Amino acid sequence: MSSTQNTDTDVAAARHAHRADVVVIGAGLAGLTAARELVAAGKSVAVLEARDRVGGRLLNHDLGDGQVTEIGGQFVGPTQAHILALAKEVGVATYQAAVPGETVYVNDGKAKRFTGHTPPDLFALPDMGIALARIGQAAAKVDPAAPWKASNARELDGMTYETWLRKAEITGDAVDMINLFLNSAYGGEARDASALFSLWYVSTFGNETHPGTMERGTGTTGGAQDSRFVGGSQLVAQRLAEELDGRVHLSAPVRRVSQDSTGVTVVSDAGDWRADRVIVAVPPLVASRIVWDPLLPAQQDQLFQRLPFGTLMKCVAVYDKPFWREDGLSGMGLLRGGSPIREMFDNTPPDGGPGVLMGFLGGKEWRKWAHRPAAERRGAVLRCFAQAVGDRAFDTADYVEQDWTAEQWTQGGPTSVAAPGVLTDFGPWMGRPHGRVHWAGAEFSPYWNGYMDGAVRSGRHTATELLHQN
Amino acid sequence: MNRFVVAETAVIDAPLGRVWDVISRTDRYAEWVAGAIEVTDHHGVATVGKTYSERNRTLGPLKTDSVWTVKEIEPFKRRVDTGTGFAPLQDVTNIFEFRPVQSADGREATEMLYQVEYTIGLGPLGLLLDSIQQPAMRAGMRTSMANLSTLLRSEASRTAL
Repeated sequence: MSSTQNTDTDVAAARHAHRADVVVIGAGLAGLTAARELVAAGKSVAVLEARDRVGGRLLNHDLGDGQVTEIGGQFVGPTQAHILALAKEVGVATYQAAVPGETVYVNDGKAKRFTGHTPPDLFALPDMGIALARIGQAAAKVDPAAPWKASNARELDGMTYETWLRKAEITGDAVDMINLFLNSAYGGEARDASALFSLWYVSTFGNETHPGTMERGTGTTGGAQDSRFVGGSQLVAQRLAEELDGRVHLSAPVRRVSQDSTGVTVVSDAGDWRADRVIVAVPPLVASRIVWDPLLPAQQDQLFQRLPFGTLMKCVAVYDKPFWREDGLSGMGLLRGGSPIREMFDNTPPDGGPGVLMGFLGGKEWRKWAHRPAAERRGAVLRCFAQAVGDRAFDTADYVEQDWTAEQWTQGGPTSVAAPGVLTDFGPWMGRPHGRVHWAGAEFSPYWNGYMDGAVRSGRHTATELLHQN
Repeated sequence: MNRFVVAETAVIDAPLGRVWDVISRTDRYAEWVAGAIEVTDHHGVATVGKTYSERNRTLGPLKTDSVWTVKEIEPFKRRVDTGTGFAPLQDVTNIFEFRPVQSADGREATEMLYQVEYTIGLGPLGLLLDSIQQPAMRAGMRTSMANLSTLLRSEASRTAL
């Protein structure tokens, strides 16, 4: 076995055409941020990206006439200072995401308009109040940097979030309301995740001085859905790539990473690189599928395999104009009662132009609809939109779906969701360097885990870690 | 035994072929039949002699599990199924009939007859029960046909794939 490995290493060494101090695998926000920090510190850096574009889970869709809308991550908000500052540095402005007008709450096919943050549902609201209080109390006891150290970590990690909610005497209506949020946040439901993971996730909705809260995570204005980027979120990644000035290599999926006492060899479809160190900034599950020589520590490999992304599709309908605004509607909708789309937003570009409605098809509903014929799925999505904004929702100028599970280099969306047992048994292996290999990504951040801010934080943290190693 | 026949008609704003395609799909009833919460078992395109199962809403929060058997298919014209699981309604027969018509603006449309036949025992009490449930059943049938029309419209939008 060892002689085979040596032979492989020798062959790879013979093919060396490139050399860098650091190779960064993945040109999403985390990888690009890490590369930027390293370049600023004087390192030679090569960023290898599997796709033919940068941005990872950030993806703009061209609406024509210079307008875009996002079919990947799009929202930012207060306490996300890292992504906000970075965007400012690369010249990407933000704007308020909320559109004036009423939101529509649909339950069992019946639509009600409302203003503010509280859906008009007398049966669900008392339960939701209790749920938010209990989640808040429990999440406050979980350390965002080490959830497995919580005093009752094993107990919490031994059950699903849904089980924990029901044990806390939170009934079906409130569980469904929480699932409405998790549908897009996890691409799943409370029954998919461990209670410890979910409470930790809430604890990450903040920063070093503002503890995470559910309200901040689910909120629009003043919350995680507060703002968007002018020109689309992918523009931040594109600007970073431009700054890196030829250091980003596209269509370069990495197949193998071999390390020895003198460095690391990275084998990609676009050639091989030899580096002192490597930063891997791809989703954990995708990282586990690279051929590692030597193998990853078994616990770390198990962890990465157990951090799959959820199942999520973004569905976007484009109209001649945002007609719902004339009716006093914000285009935002919360839909319950088995609706394929659970949350929808007005995704119209900031300076008007075509009207855009976006809805999340996630979790259980994704599983139900993803394999259906495209026309039937589109029909179901448009019927959801029509429940919120009326039958003009059927008169689309364009319709686009982005199924993140179909992206080879992401394999789901929007983020990793840990089932029971994962965090307590494997969590401490999360960001532990593997020899000369370091890890970055939104899923490695103690704050805004899975979000753009988490990605930027992680990229910076890992670059700093690496520089200190040197 | 009291035998009841409840019928409603509506014009579906879609050509007969498209209407027939959708109503023939036993997996799709929860998408347009008002009382069907979920299709729990199905055999795809309806076939005579085969069954499909649903979870249905009855009165208020009450739910029931029903099993339907496809009894008769006359393509593009008529479909007859019998169902169980709707006690105290018994011997439930569901009939769909279709004929092509033109809408006011000259487009192809489809007239649909939605008929449900059933018996209720219990003598005079059965008559009382039916007087309570029948209006809701009629409303559900009208809603179903409106839902079918909306479903077909949604799948025929300008950007149809």
